[in-house]
Amino acid sequence: MPAAAQTQLAPGWQLETTGLFYGEQLRAKVVEPTGRLTRQFANGRALSLGLAVDAITGASPTGGLPTGQVQTTTSSSGRSSTTTADAVPTHPFQDLRYAADLGWVEPLGSLVSASTSAHFSQEKDYASIGGGLKTSVDVLNRLVTLTAGAGYNRDRVFPTGGTAVGLAPDDTPRIPGDNPKEVRTGLVGISRVVSRRWLLGATGSQTRETGYLTDPYKIISLTDPETQLPVAQVNEKRPSERLRDDVLASSVYHFEQDIFYMNYRYYWDDWGVRSHTLDMKVRHDLSSESWVQPHVRLYAQSPASFFVFGLTQGRPLPEFASADERLGPLRTATFGATYGFRVPGHRGEFTLRGEYMYQWLVGRPPTAIASSTNTPAGDDSGGGGQHLGTNIGTILIGYTVPF
Amino acid sequence: MTTRRRTFAALLLLAGIGVPGCATVHPWDRDLMAKPTMRFVPVPHEMAVDDHIYFSKEGSTGGMDAAGGGCGCN
Amino acid sequence: MVGSVSDDDNRVEHMTAREGSWCSLPRSRSQLTEERDRVRNPWTIALALALVAVPVLAKTTKQAPVAPAFTLPGMKGDVALESLRGKTVLVDFWASWCGPCRQSFPWMNDLEKRYGGKGLAIVAVNLDKDREFANNFLAEVPASFTVAFDPSGKTAESYKVKAMPTTFLISPDGKLLATHTGFDAKHAPEFEAQIAEALPK
Repeated sequence: MPAAAQTQLAPGWQLETTGLFYGEQLRAKVVEPTGRLTRQFANGRALSLGLAVDAITGASPTGGLPTGQVQTTTSSSGRSSTTTADAVPTHPFQDLRYAADLGWVEPLGSLVSASTSAHFSQEKDYASIGGGLKTSVDVLNRLVTLTAGAGYNRDRVFPTGGTAVGLAPDDTPRIPGDNPKEVRTGLVGISRVVSRRWLLGATGSQTRETGYLTDPYKIISLTDPETQLPVAQVNEKRPSERLRDDVLASSVYHFEQDIFYMNYRYYWDDWGVRSHTLDMKVRHDLSSESWVQPHVRLYAQSPASFFVFGLTQGRPLPEFASADERLGPLRTATFGATYGFRVPGHRGEFTLRGEYMYQWLVGRPPTAIASSTNTPAGDDSGGGGQHLGTNIGTILIGYTVPF
Repeated sequence: MTTRRRTFAALLLLAGIGVPGCATVHPWDRDLMAKPTMRFVPVPHEMAVDDHIYFSKEGSTGGMDAAGGGCGCN
Repeated sequence: MVGSVSDDDNRVEHMTAREGSWCSLPRSRSQLTEERDRVRNPWTIALALALVAVPVLAKTTKQAPVAPAFTLPGMKGDVALESLRGKTVLVDFWASWCGPCRQSFPWMNDLEKRYGGKGLAIVAVNLDKDREFANNFLAEVPASFTVAFDPSGKTAESYKVKAMPTTFLISPDGKLLATHTGFDAKHAPEFEAQIAEALPK
């Protein structure tokens, strides 16, 4: 929102509620209702309160290697799960997360707007509290808007059963207690009305994280050098600092009827992770009361320098290692569409979005030899190990109403 | 590209957006820009949900959007 | 570009010389001091001030410009500025998508009621590209004053409109007295006083 536009919003209340239903094939399922109440005041000031609850159940990959045979893993809370042959081992979990945020917008004159926010979240093994500040200024006859912002977060990680000792065997006794983590972010942005139809923008941000950055439940398989079967497991270990950078270029273009949105983000950090994200949407009005918005998002990531699919037993352990697929050579493709409509005579707007996501790792080694009915190692002609992707579906319902 | 060169290139891209162009946009040509759908995030609650999903499932963060556009009134 | 001047023995460190640039020769500390004094010379200051003052003075002592003429279609027939000579005219440029314009209409309706009979003429020039949007707006926010339509924006351009809305106060003899950009309920009484002052006696 450009600084000047903030002072023109009609005073009043707005309520926005959403419900997310998220499901990964054979893995996690999440249900997340949210609510947001906004009060717009006459002088351009605004107050906003948001609440969200996440109920997460299901299974998450442990980081272990798939093999040609059935594996049984036991989670830190003592629950065991069985993994079928060729499937990525997972461990079951269940969690409830609460989050709340508060925001305030204050116009400073007709060309400048400032906003502050505070947020808080709590779950079984993670607590986070933080705040942010953002300012925007309109210049060049309100054709260009400059934005700068900063944020600070203080988190506590207190894994169930204690903190795992990095790169030690996974049955090493865990250390009780909290692990702190600090996150500091800065961002600058510029946007420009290029023509009557075209709005362009770019932002750059940098984030520094310090503290406990390891995933407390992920392990790495140690494989036998000959059979390549996983024979042992060690906990993962990540550095205690991370510097992240990203640039985002955005474009909004209004054709005769439809509006085309395109975002490209390039991300890099000092763990070696680099990624490209391309996100495109088209807003098409079906009538004066309804619209449809198809959406495509493509994502490609190159792995962290210390990412490994598995480690070989007997070799010296590296300083840092993780088999978490979120730090690996990951690809995500998302396809979906939103349908929005107003009920005649009613001021509220409903939205319904369905999306399909497919996520996979490239370069995954073929699954190790197992039973005689399996194909030998090295033969990747359709051995399950090469194409282990995750199918994810989401449904998001939303309702926004002014009053 | 080294990190410093990447940062410099990023800042250049940012600055490039602000450089005055050939065609100016008259205040009365802001009719389309005034529409609530003419902003970087047309459906804010979707962005909040997506940020959370992709943050949990991928290794990257950020891409926060800037303010901009609008009817330019007052 | 001048780099740093080292303190010891007047040696200049780290200069970058550029072809054709005015600062192409290395300078010693004494040379730089000399140049600084030259710039601070009282005559130079006077010249600099004069260069700034002339356009500023010219602007303020200039004769009030003539309001550009226009003939635009209205709700019933054409609206021509010349035909309003002898009245104090308020020309307001607005559009249906402009939030503050919505707030300014009740104020202008009020002005029309109180000063319409005392020689005030209000012409609200609409800049919507599609007449239908303007009609929808007027159905919601009716205007008791004259409305004219300028979809091509040519009249707005002749008035050098810089923001939406912009209101021009024109004297009975056709001179541009004041320009107000934007609409703000807080500053409206001040503007109203200006209008009352400008009414034909």
